Amino acid sequence: MPNIRRATNKDNICVLTFDREGSSANIFDKRTLLELEGHIDAIRNEKPRGLVITSAKDSIFIAGADLNTLAGLRDEELKSYIELGQSIFNSIAELKMPTVAAIHGACLGGGYEICLACDYRIATDDRSTKIGLPEVNLGILPAWGGSSRLPRLIGIPGALDVILAGRILPAIPALKRGMIDLIAPREYLMQAALKHAGGHKPRRFASRILYSAPVNKVVALALRKYVTIKTLERTHGHYPAVEEAMDVILRGSGELSIARSLLLEAEAVTRLAKTPVSKNLIRLFFFQEGARKLSYPGVQKLPPRKIVRAAVIGAGVMGASIAQWLSARGIRVILKDIDAARVAAGMDRIMQLFASAYKRHTFTFVEARDGVDRISPTPVDVPMKNVEIIVEAAVEKMDLKKKVFARLDEQAPADAILATNTSALSITEIAAATKNPERVVGIHFFNPVHKMQLVEVVVGKQTKPDVAQRAIRFVQQIGKLPVVVQDSPGFLVNRILLPYLVEAAALFEAGAPTEVLDDAMLDFGMPMGPMRLIDEVGVDIAADVAMTLAGTFKDRLKMSEVLPKMIEAGLLGRKSGAGFYTYKSKEPRVNPQAAKFCNETSAAGFNPGELQRRMVLLMVNEAARCLEEKIVMKAGDVDFGMVMGTGFAPFRGGPLAYADAETPAKIVEDMKTLVLAAGPQYEPCTLLAEMAVTGRKFYEEDEPGKTDPDASSTKTTLP
Amino acid sequence: MSERLVIVDGIRTPFCKMGTSLATLGADELGRVAVNALLLRTGLDPALVDEVIFGCVAQPVDAANVSRVIALRAGIPQSVPAMTVHRNCASGFEAFTTAYERMNAGRGSIFIVGGAESMSQVPLLFKQSAANKFAGLQRAKSILQKLGAFGAFRPGDFAPRIGLKLGLTDPVSGLNMGQTAEVLAREFAISRGEQDAFALRSHQRAVAAREKLAEEITPVYVRGKAITEDNGPRANQSIEALADLRPFFDRKFGTVTAGNSSQITDGAVALLVMTEKRAAELGFTPLGRLAGYAYSGCDPKRMGLGPAFAVAKTERLPGLSIQQADIIEINEAFAAQVIAVESLMKSDNFAQSMGLAHPIGEIPQEKLNVNGGSIALGHPVGATGARLILTGLKELQRRNGKLAMLSLCVGGGQGAVVWLERGG
Repeated sequence: MPNIRRATNKDNICVLTFDREGSSANIFDKRTLLELEGHIDAIRNEKPRGLVITSAKDSIFIAGADLNTLAGLRDEELKSYIELGQSIFNSIAELKMPTVAAIHGACLGGGYEICLACDYRIATDDRSTKIGLPEVNLGILPAWGGSSRLPRLIGIPGALDVILAGRILPAIPALKRGMIDLIAPREYLMQAALKHAGGHKPRRFASRILYSAPVNKVVALALRKYVTIKTLERTHGHYPAVEEAMDVILRGSGELSIARSLLLEAEAVTRLAKTPVSKNLIRLFFFQEGARKLSYPGVQKLPPRKIVRAAVIGAGVMGASIAQWLSARGIRVILKDIDAARVAAGMDRIMQLFASAYKRHTFTFVEARDGVDRISPTPVDVPMKNVEIIVEAAVEKMDLKKKVFARLDEQAPADAILATNTSALSITEIAAATKNPERVVGIHFFNPVHKMQLVEVVVGKQTKPDVAQRAIRFVQQIGKLPVVVQDSPGFLVNRILLPYLVEAAALFEAGAPTEVLDDAMLDFGMPMGPMRLIDEVGVDIAADVAMTLAGTFKDRLKMSEVLPKMIEAGLLGRKSGAGFYTYKSKEPRVNPQAAKFCNETSAAGFNPGELQRRMVLLMVNEAARCLEEKIVMKAGDVDFGMVMGTGFAPFRGGPLAYADAETPAKIVEDMKTLVLAAGPQYEPCTLLAEMAVTGRKFYEEDEPGKTDPDASSTKTTLP
Repeated sequence: MSERLVIVDGIRTPFCKMGTSLATLGADELGRVAVNALLLRTGLDPALVDEVIFGCVAQPVDAANVSRVIALRAGIPQSVPAMTVHRNCASGFEAFTTAYERMNAGRGSIFIVGGAESMSQVPLLFKQSAANKFAGLQRAKSILQKLGAFGAFRPGDFAPRIGLKLGLTDPVSGLNMGQTAEVLAREFAISRGEQDAFALRSHQRAVAAREKLAEEITPVYVRGKAITEDNGPRANQSIEALADLRPFFDRKFGTVTAGNSSQITDGAVALLVMTEKRAAELGFTPLGRLAGYAYSGCDPKRMGLGPAFAVAKTERLPGLSIQQADIIEINEAFAAQVIAVESLMKSDNFAQSMGLAHPIGEIPQEKLNVNGGSIALGHPVGATGARLILTGLKELQRRNGKLAMLSLCVGGGQGAVVWLERGG
């Protein structure tokens, strides 16, 4: 199957059009590279007046290297694959005629690196046009010349900023940073590209001097110390790709010959691709792709029907944030609460979210205003006969939710989905309050809604499969990533998170200082320590969810007394100004007042490693239990959910990938020790215990994205 | 009348004094809130609407054809047309009766009509002399020409012309609205005391009707606060306080004060109207139906008398006499003006000059402006007509009455009357 078309027009300008057959995307796999090599050889012989590289796809220029290829290669193969790409892109860079990349759609990784090998980069201002080098997010670095050519084009500081953050930018900021030369409307893109290709090579006097190797050498020397510190602050040393990329840019950009810089790239990427970090990150990437295409098993293909009208019940933090997100995605939303003051507070939150999106250039003024306009607020009952989905986000009280659902069931059209955003209550029980429990489903967003991509689609006992499927489609439609979870206390993410938070509170009560606990988990790679997280969630809410879970998991979830005492003292976390920390100053400070609720010293002497181990093991154990109880279908769901829902150290790949890395045997051994030392909550679950014996793992070796089919079905083979 | 027009539902924003709670919102935003709330509470599929017609007097310079802006922002599909109408203070009536005329011309059966006005946002204007100089500056090419163009400006060029003041002045007679009220006070010998007493009653009635009025209001959410009430009516208004005010339009001999004139106010009203047939098909129970209407011209200097002229026109129609009306509204542009209209309606001479056999008649005070009027509630000029329709219908329902007569005086010398019957 051909991937590239070559045609030369009457002005003797050659156009290479990437158009991968049978796909809506262009990617670089080995075949495409070889094909490209053939075309470049031909062009070298034919000597056209100019060359334009473009894509025939609707929303993708070139999406980058094929990750399946990348993931499947062993050391030597990988090295030669990288060198192949480098040499082809080099030969493009060495062509004597003017070369132009005409970019429309996603232009990422290798897709942008081929553009960097061209003389000119012209992009459309379309929304689908996104330009960047996201490699470090996969634990590798741009190694087809990106790390070498970008600093030579826009300077070291600019290149560091783009590459180390793995930035993906729309056309306008890309132009401002010098990553592209010109923006053209889509209709005029080829016209502009042909014109440049018919002209002469660019001179770029200024950048040739400013960003020349000798200057770069000096700049790199001056920057190195500062950049190293800043990078470490961000990675905590957990992301070797960021550090390697930094090093390649700083050293490579000072090399007179680009070949030496390319060599550094190639060496670095071969080292990095082997690391578990990269394997974990690539696996997570596959999970994300999987979530975008997810379907509910066993459901006939539904006609694709986009939701255009929705209602959100409850204008609190979650309700308003959900309404804002839906509206931002073009859905008209009825936002209902019980009085005008609550609705006003919700609308205010919505306006602030849109205002900040406008400030960040996510939306134009008109788009932001339209977003607000699409929301119809109401403090009174209104007809719901036009809505296709209702998301309830009212107060977490079962009685209230039952009442709300009984009423919604009467109001909503027969084919509308009734969804609840509850984070802990039983979907099945809520559904029982309706006459049509089969159309009730959980759609659980995480806070803050506009940042958290994960949404748990919770399937109740009576939820009809095609309702679950429509809920998944809805989540995908609004640009979130669904994970399907069976209805059970705490669903997936909160269920795993809560034992960890409860344990952190218990350790605090037993004398472990707040900052030591938090630092221990930051070191582990969590985005936020457990004590800060409790404060952010709200001490009362954390306690409430913990109580709900404790009702079911009596044996292993012992509520410490700290949280109720803090609630009594009015220390509710960030929202009340103080919890485990105080939030009066710009940076949160440890709250000395909270210390009086610590009534032992048994944990005071624990070193951070010990504390970390305890908290992490509880998460691992609960994660395994979710799999064991078939709350989710596969190990990947658990890890994906935890990374996307809580920010669980992505480089570790999730709690189950972490267990694999540690080996289940080691995990179980440590837990058994802790049962005696710390309590029965450390009793390893059946699945882990069994895996410790058989030596099986959650994931198969070296196959990113695939899980061991046996691991999840273990339970059936055990007594 | 071949097609009967029914009013299915209506809703309005609170009416808020200029420069207060709603001051930051333009007429388009106020209108959007009202139309959006109307669609929400009726559950009407917006694609069924045939046209959106809104009245607006001070049409915003940044939202030309404000009705179209309102419609699109409120979620009416792009395929549905919209137009803005202007008949000064009767613009809200005009939107309503235009819909009726469209229906009878076979141009649609479902309309959203209303009025929107932000008097807070009427702009200040540059004088023409300044505008000419700005144009000169733009044409100037060389530095020297530009300096010359700059030099042509004089400090006086920058004194603004107040748009609101210009809008409330009748260019034909040269009088502003308050001065036309002074003319009526003089000619009909209406004392200051009489006017103030009328104004006080308007406040008392509006304050007493707060709960009733709440039924027709949808909250507006401004910076985290829900604006849910009209802020014009003053519960503590006293006759002494009214008497203390200085005449505003004729400082020496005048009797018209800010207290016995309508307030300058922001607000919007939206009504859903359709043919009786469509309402039945869609399963709506209408609030009422249009029974008759008239617009009439009169002397611009005495524009306040307009309602009498308009009512004289409908006197000839069967069944539309004020004796049969359960509710009567004469919009309170000025207390003096309402009182003058009342006298004129009783006058034999007037009846004769209009070719009527009898005077229109005496207006019973217990039927007139029963929930207060524009003196208390405020007069967002383009919206008031639509508010009278909404308030009148709701009151008719409460009183279990049958017929309402709603009228307005119109700057430039016109009068308008709309007659409504309760039910479908």
